Amino acid sequence: MIQEIRARDTARYFGSDAQLGTGPVPAMTSSAPSAPVSGEAAEQALEYLTEMSVDLRGGAIFDAGGAVLASSGEAERWGAAATRLLAAADGAEGEPVEQVHVATEQGEIFAVRAEGLVALAVTDRFTLASLMAYDMRAVLRDLARGNAGAEG
Amino acid sequence: MPKPHRVLLDRVSGYADEAGAFIRRRRHNRRPFARLYWSGGRSAELGPDTEGGAELFAAAGELIEIAGKRPRG
Repeated sequence: MIQEIRARDTARYFGSDAQLGTGPVPAMTSSAPSAPVSGEAAEQALEYLTEMSVDLRGGAIFDAGGAVLASSGEAERWGAAATRLLAAADGAEGEPVEQVHVATEQGEIFAVRAEGLVALAVTDRFTLASLMAYDMRAVLRDLARGNAGAEG
Repeated sequence: MPKPHRVLLDRVSGYADEAGAFIRRRRHNRRPFARLYWSGGRSAELGPDTEGGAELFAAAGELIEIAGKRPRG
């Protein structure tokens, strides 16, 4: 199973990069997605993120306006809590943040803004932050390009 | 005088013990933190006692409660 995921990741990451040269959106930008993202695609993306990240307890994906596109539980609760978190983060220095990482004794929170979307993840303690953020960005990038959860 | 392979085994298990102790100390000593990153590579760290940090930790606690336990294992 891990080998399957790894093989798929390799194909996705390097396959996407190979197509990057012709694509209009460079990786790691916060520009809006080229087309509106459907809830179904967001669900697939969240499922894929859950499959990739063994430490993930739950997560959600939001559009730029803060609407919940997909969540691993009650969308309303995820939406309210995420809004609170991002408002606090943006208010810290009066400028929208690109990434948030909060580590507590009960677990860790990651929030990433990319491609005009927001991904939020709750993980176990001591998750590798850089890998988690990388996976979240990759998922948002793919989602914005309309190939969420796509094989290869 | 210990046999040569004993010396090697003792050394390896000594290193393993050191590594284990390091991990235990790291887990024990690590304190909660909130790190914010902005575009351009700028970042800031907030503690739970700071004004902005308290709200971040409150929201984080809420999210952890919503997510619940890990679905597998």
